[in-house]
Amino acid sequence: MPAGTIVAEGLIKVFRTVARGTGVAGALKSVIRPERVAKVAVDQVSLRVDQGELLALLGPNGAGKSTTIKMLCGILTPTGGRVEVNGITPYQDRIANARQVGAVFGQRSQLWRDLTARQSLEVLRDMHGLRAAEYRDRIREFNRILEIEEFWEGRARQLSLGQRVRCDLAAALLHDPPVVFLDEPTIGMDVVVKEQVREFLRDQVQRRGRTVLLTTHDMTEVAKLAERVALIDHGRLMYDGKTAGLRDLAGVTWEAHVTVETVPAVIDVPGMRLTRADGTRLSFAPAPGAGEDLTPRHAVRRLIEHLPVTDIRVEEPDLEDVVRQAFRAGR
Amino acid sequence: MVPQASPPNEWPLTRLRSSLLPWRGMRVTLITELTQPVRYVTQLTMVVTQLALTYWLWRALYAGVRMSAGLDVTQATSYALLGVLYLQFRSVDRWSNGDTMVQLMFEGTIAYWFIRPVSPRRWYLIRMCGDLAYGAVWALVAYLACRAAGAIAGPPSLAAGGAALLTLALGLVITYYLQVVVDLMCFWSTVNDSAVVAVQFASSLLSGAFAPLWFFPGWFQRANEFLPFQSTLNVPLSLYVGRLPVSALPGQLAVQAAWCASLALFTWWLWRRAAARVTVLGG
Amino acid sequence: MTPMPATSAERWLRRFAREWRTALRITAISLRARTQYRGDFIAALAMGLAWQTSIFVFATVILTRFPGLGGWTSGGVLLIVAIRMLSHGGMVLVFNSLIMIPYIVQQGALDGYLIRPMPVYRQILLYTFPLNALGDSFSALLLFAFAITRVHLAWTPLMALYLVAAVIGGVLLEAAIQTLVSTLAFRFTIPIAVFMWFDRMIATFGNYPFSILPLAARAFLTYLLPVAFVAYLPAAVLTGRVASTGVPEWLAYASPAVGPLLYILARYAWYRALRHYESVGG
Repeated sequence: MPAGTIVAEGLIKVFRTVARGTGVAGALKSVIRPERVAKVAVDQVSLRVDQGELLALLGPNGAGKSTTIKMLCGILTPTGGRVEVNGITPYQDRIANARQVGAVFGQRSQLWRDLTARQSLEVLRDMHGLRAAEYRDRIREFNRILEIEEFWEGRARQLSLGQRVRCDLAAALLHDPPVVFLDEPTIGMDVVVKEQVREFLRDQVQRRGRTVLLTTHDMTEVAKLAERVALIDHGRLMYDGKTAGLRDLAGVTWEAHVTVETVPAVIDVPGMRLTRADGTRLSFAPAPGAGEDLTPRHAVRRLIEHLPVTDIRVEEPDLEDVVRQAFRAGR
Repeated sequence: MVPQASPPNEWPLTRLRSSLLPWRGMRVTLITELTQPVRYVTQLTMVVTQLALTYWLWRALYAGVRMSAGLDVTQATSYALLGVLYLQFRSVDRWSNGDTMVQLMFEGTIAYWFIRPVSPRRWYLIRMCGDLAYGAVWALVAYLACRAAGAIAGPPSLAAGGAALLTLALGLVITYYLQVVVDLMCFWSTVNDSAVVAVQFASSLLSGAFAPLWFFPGWFQRANEFLPFQSTLNVPLSLYVGRLPVSALPGQLAVQAAWCASLALFTWWLWRRAAARVTVLGG
Repeated sequence: MTPMPATSAERWLRRFAREWRTALRITAISLRARTQYRGDFIAALAMGLAWQTSIFVFATVILTRFPGLGGWTSGGVLLIVAIRMLSHGGMVLVFNSLIMIPYIVQQGALDGYLIRPMPVYRQILLYTFPLNALGDSFSALLLFAFAITRVHLAWTPLMALYLVAAVIGGVLLEAAIQTLVSTLAFRFTIPIAVFMWFDRMIATFGNYPFSILPLAARAFLTYLLPVAFVAYLPAAVLTGRVASTGVPEWLAYASPAVGPLLYILARYAWYRALRHYESVGG
């Protein structure tokens, strides 16, 4: 197996919690005789990420994304199923796994609040047993895109969210791991920093060949970063494939909005079907069975050939709409 | 160039280096405490005040009495002051750093502990050693100052001093294990404030840090002997002031060793259970 | 639709009642929240009991082993202990949440408090149900009752009143100290240990007649860390030992008033510090 491969087969995770009663009677009952409830957080999830790939795990809150990624990191022990990262079972060989894995968990920072970010990185350097030269090189490399040396003399509690996450990224990659897990890393950050982080991740994947598994519920992130996306909802994997293919699943396609001079009596454009008519404004979508050949450009030419067009606009579906449709279709 | 999955050939020296280097993590405590004047200034004020008041109180109590509970004024005063110094070992506040086990569990930062090349148990030990070392420096400096001022008397003999030091070391080990037990309870119960307070109470009152145990009623002392706390401080201090003869050392060492061994076993087992059970909140 | 209240006094009373009802409702919710963590609930109660009882046990032990503390009878010393314990019990019942201020600040919750229609100080006091305090207060009450029976004094209604005033004064004095400590939390990260240290100092040194201590200690505990006004001076007044306190007579008699005065000052300082509060970064 090539280095940096993540394999998960039939992962299951069931949480057992105590049911909370209502009112004083319920509260007392939970003290004396607690009632246990089982919650299936992850149900038969199978994934495979090969070396140098970036997979985005997309899903709404509570879908089981974080649980899945924690099982892949070895932090949670799965109730069922198999997981292997680089040939090592994470929750069994934690120390060995730690050397080949780096992680950033969105709202939680590795940095010590009262230490400067730089001091935190130095402590982590010692923990990983890095040589001074190695460490310097890595920091230089990270600094190129993340620019951490600008603010790393500040105490972690005084850093902004964007600055903290950038330092956390550096901390995660300090030991040059082939596999990286990111659990909602850009949540709550401003657009500029988000782009900086994405550029960094792209660089790491393409130039350094790292394997990245990223969970998110940000559609733009998926659109801009990932060629592959896996959709997870209610603990189940609903889609695993190319981002572009997601649209086919959802049955949502691009639409052409046309404004015509006069509305013809019969509207018949080969390969297109009318989805909406509003006076002189008509909307068309590719007809079912139109085939892959009907690209938006071809469609535009056909529409212009067949209709007295004064204005034409093609709209790509919003990834958010796509995902929403896909979830609905999956249920 | 693709980073390799398997670690490169490691010479024994490199392996030694990579297992010792994480111990530099002990300095997290030092950096935290020394870079904020508020911390050491308040600590200094508190230590000096408490030492002075304790000294005066005990001297005043003994004004009309020569001997009580087998302790004379010098012994009782020394014991009480050393008790105050002992509290310095636990003086490091992890909370503002976000480093208490409860916080790590509650905020989910504990997740990072499980993807580091140092096992959680080892890292916990490293950090605890950092805290204890920092507290030890405070205790030592204060001890020397009190000796110079004549507030604390020296041990009756070199042997007594040595015995005290030995039992203190073992006592600190027991204290460490007890703290581990309390902290690991986080993995099972999401709130363990009361457990923390309970152990604090036990370790300050039942160990003798609050007041010399010899003054407590007989039933209290006898019940206390079944608990490990009195062996952490009362024994070393009693040996130091001469309340316990040096000949009692082997017996006390045996008791301490028994506690160390059983707690070591228990905590080893607890760590395994905790690691297996790891549940991170808020995920 | 209720008719308009006739007088401003009525209006004030209604508002007062409403605010109390809100406070009680919040307290009930906090209690329910705490009881969901079952082990914690039981343990917290037990801890309060254990601590207070131990301190009391030790104080009585000291009495038996060291008779004749500066001419004070054991009854007199027990009175000091009793007043201090009850003051502490009352204090933690109401003001326990002050020690949570560093936590509240760090969580950033203080920002939310600042824009709510309730005074920030009150919101903080209502932050969590004082479970530990219940244990403390309960045992304090028991021990107080026990101690009082051992104090052989000819109680007059005036003395009883003075005793009540002394306890209330003690509550407010301890509260004042903790409030002042908490003002630091707005600017620095204060470990909870600082609050506990003051608590411990008062609990440890507040049990003894200060006449046994040398001048430096006495001055410190009267004018710097005014523990003397919590229990020692009121007890001296009640047992007729004012002359031996070394403190001006009028001050000793006025000791129950020191607490409320200091508390008002502390609250004022607290609100001043709050105004200079800078929100946590992020």
